Amino acid sequence: MNEKRLDRRGFLGFLTWAIGGLLSAAMGVPAIAYVVGPALKSNKTQNWIPVGSTSKIEVGTPTLFKVKVERKAGWIVSEEEIAAFILTENNRDFIAMSNICTHLGCRVRWIAERQQFLSPCHNGVFDKYGNVVSGPPPRPLDRYPVKVENDQLFILGG
Amino acid sequence: MGAAFGNWLDERIHWRQVWEAIFLRKVPKVNWFYTLGSATLFVAVNQAVTGILLTIYYVPTPDHAYDSVQFITTEVSAGWLIRGLHHWGASAMVVLAVLHMLRVILHGAYKYPREVTWFSGVFLLLVVIGFGFTGYLLPWDQKAYWATVVGTRIAGTPPLIGDWILRIVRGGEELSAVTLARFFGVHVWVLPAALALLTLFHLYLVIRIGISAAPTRKE
Repeated sequence: MNEKRLDRRGFLGFLTWAIGGLLSAAMGVPAIAYVVGPALKSNKTQNWIPVGSTSKIEVGTPTLFKVKVERKAGWIVSEEEIAAFILTENNRDFIAMSNICTHLGCRVRWIAERQQFLSPCHNGVFDKYGNVVSGPPPRPLDRYPVKVENDQLFILGG
Repeated sequence: MGAAFGNWLDERIHWRQVWEAIFLRKVPKVNWFYTLGSATLFVAVNQAVTGILLTIYYVPTPDHAYDSVQFITTEVSAGWLIRGLHHWGASAMVVLAVLHMLRVILHGAYKYPREVTWFSGVFLLLVVIGFGFTGYLLPWDQKAYWATVVGTRIAGTPPLIGDWILRIVRGGEELSAVTLARFFGVHVWVLPAALALLTLFHLYLVIRIGISAAPTRKE
């Protein structure tokens, strides 16, 4: 095609391929977005979830609170429960710790006699504030941000 | 580079012969009405591509069908476009197939030796109508539901066997989850297979026998 003049047949052939390519791209790009789109979206929206009245929270002992959150997967909305250990020493400052062990996701229990959290799966042990005492957990228990409004305690989660 | 690879491949699988038979074949003097068949084929490809994409999210059960369609339309990236192309393409398919048939009738192109091409085309039109009928139910909204209640009841009007046909089409006495599932199965498996086979046969005949020229005043 370099030296030859583009004849009618060649031009129409080229035009056919060009239009075909354009249409394929016009279809292909949205198709990729369509398939990939929802995979990139997070189904977790963070909300301030009310846990309860601050006056009901026992001082000095981590207490497990369970709250309901709404999870949306595609078009299915389901209710899920998340649990947090709430600890306060003075009823003004609160910390909220996830009850999910940072090792492999087992649920930790508060052992009152030992004043420690124990994960039953691989003997991970955390202290009162969620710091690792012994065992395989790589980091302290995850914490939820907290806030107090009108004597109500909220945690940020979803 | 491209030409070299083309030659390499042609030496082994002789694809140029096939290419020439399909795209460089001799045709009589034609006009724009002769493109209606190709236009129908183009829309059929569009329906296949968008249809496959829709099945990635669509779920054919009464408790999920409507919600999954809403999810596609409002939340999936370009979902409105994919569904829109399939929705409007469906209507375009019927219109183009009928116009294509009208052209063949008005030109008398169905006559000897092309009767078999014509018959395969008639069956193709039936398949397209079947696609329209089964696909209409899938969004599972009020319009879909009641249109199919009426449509299946019409299928049940023939004497003696009517009630039997009605039950087979609905998969029971009433329109139900069973109806939705079988309409989906027919829409995405049975009819596409039939359409693909019939289209290949139809195109083979169009290429093998050739197409007829537009009739002239003398004839």
